[in-house]
Amino acid sequence: MPPAQQTPADAPALECVGVGFAYPRSPSPVLENITFRVERGERLGILGPNGGGKSTLLRLALGLLRGHSGTIRVFGMPPDEARRRGAVGYVPQRVEAELGMPMSVRELVTLGAAWRVPPWRSVPRETSRRVDEMLALVGAGEFADRPAGKLSGGQLQRAMIARALAAGAQMLVLDEPMVGIDAAGQRVFADLLARIHAQLGLTTVIVSHDLRAIVAGSDRVACLARRLHAHAAPQGLTPQVLAELFSHEVAGAPGTLTGMHVHAHGADECCTEPHASPSGPVQLGVSARRPEGHKP
Amino acid sequence: MTLGASSSPLLELLTSADMGPMRAIYATALLAGLAIVVLCGVLSVLVVVKRLGFVGQGVSHSAFGGIGVAAVLAALGAIQPAGTAEFAVIVAFCVLAALGMASVSDRRTTPVDSAIGMFLVGSMALGAVLVQVSQPIARAMGNPPMTRSWESILFGSILAAGRADALLAWGVALALLACVWWVRRPMLFWSFDEESAAAFGVPARRMRLALMVVLAVAVVTAMKLAGVILATALLVLPGATAMRLSDRLWPVVGLSVASGVVGLLAGFAASIELDWQAGPSMVLLMTGLFFGAAGWSRLARRRAA
Repeated sequence: MPPAQQTPADAPALECVGVGFAYPRSPSPVLENITFRVERGERLGILGPNGGGKSTLLRLALGLLRGHSGTIRVFGMPPDEARRRGAVGYVPQRVEAELGMPMSVRELVTLGAAWRVPPWRSVPRETSRRVDEMLALVGAGEFADRPAGKLSGGQLQRAMIARALAAGAQMLVLDEPMVGIDAAGQRVFADLLARIHAQLGLTTVIVSHDLRAIVAGSDRVACLARRLHAHAAPQGLTPQVLAELFSHEVAGAPGTLTGMHVHAHGADECCTEPHASPSGPVQLGVSARRPEGHKP
Repeated sequence: MTLGASSSPLLELLTSADMGPMRAIYATALLAGLAIVVLCGVLSVLVVVKRLGFVGQGVSHSAFGGIGVAAVLAALGAIQPAGTAEFAVIVAFCVLAALGMASVSDRRTTPVDSAIGMFLVGSMALGAVLVQVSQPIARAMGNPPMTRSWESILFGSILAAGRADALLAWGVALALLACVWWVRRPMLFWSFDEESAAAFGVPARRMRLALMVVLAVAVVTAMKLAGVILATALLVLPGATAMRLSDRLWPVVGLSVASGVVGLLAGFAASIELDWQAGPSMVLLMTGLFFGAAGWSRLARRRAA
């Protein structure tokens, strides 16, 4: 059993209090005064434009980046300790992996689950069984024996989710899960997240600039562009909030929201205010109004 | 023994009664070569997967710096020239150089290939200067000056390997293979995807340094017997060949070792039969094996399509 089981039982899955971060030799901070918490079993989406600090926050929470101000606690532990205990299952964006590596999906998933097994022992049978179960749960059973390098983007992503689940992680962190996945794959992915949540009740954090990814698997959304701009259910995302959020990406060029991936149907689904949604990518004007504070 | 012995030097070596001492020399060299080929065959898979082929170049050429340091120490009378102490100095220098390459490299400012390139030329220059400096010191101290030729360092001479060399090679090979076996799971996890592995708790930095140290020691050991060029070839060619033939981990490792062994045996045979130098014959044959494997896999893919 992975040592992640020993985490304090009452601590929230992820808690950030006044977190700030600036890269060395960079004049302006990437993150400022970020405060939020994710309860156990909750599904949080972190939405924000590219360059808005999502990846930085993710890497801080994963314990891959150090030097932040404020406090980050993962299951009540500092991120680095949570990392060493394997409490968090990370599903990377585009797998920056050596896809030429001669290994099957099953071998990769088994490594994630069994890399802590002492070298003189073989992989325990229950670990192999858990690997098979998780491969089946994510629908990777039929390509489990194919080499990882010969999978499609969606298949590889499912394999990476199986790896995180088989490793016994208590929180699943997905970085930009919709990138490079076609429309059919996105529906499969949304179903998969729902299935995982229903069966395992795992805490999930999805980080994306794509509203569809957030809507697919979140109960709550935190909008992040250097600061938290809103913190609400997906239904509470108003056009004003989105405009405010994404205007940071194009500072100095208001109105042209290049790089934005809010599509018409996504905006329809998440906006409660009745409004005429233009077809194609939504062009959101930049609101002059600044939100007064974070919505609780 | 009239079996056309005069027409085939290889047959004559294998069968003739008066070739006994020669056979012993070749057997020792083969034994030493096998240790190197088995070790490098396993490591080669990691080297190819992690794109570290240039590390072999960097570390093996760093040995020139180690030789320079050893030359100065020998001139001062601190160590014996061409002994175990000299080998230890060279190993230590190369391990430090490998760690230097790993720690200086940074994805944004100094990519790893630049870091390796710097240590490669820096060490060679240091070696050249130190060997020159050692000559007057040796004269002043009354010690014999270093006489090793650069060519022997580049190409090595595996036939000069003695029983002690073969034993040392097997000792190093078994020790390093044991280390790799010990960390095989985190090492493989890390090899596939460094950042994810780190997020799952794998000590990624320690993995990188461990692999660099293992490679450095392997390269220096291979180089002592087979020269800089063959050592580098042994870390790249077997793995590259095997990965053309299979995409399963353990078959790839097996094929990699096997292609190294075939290259070694065939290289020896060619060098005896045709009177070519052993090292270059082995490199040529292994390169040929790679192109053969590449062609075969392309044909197989075309037939499957």
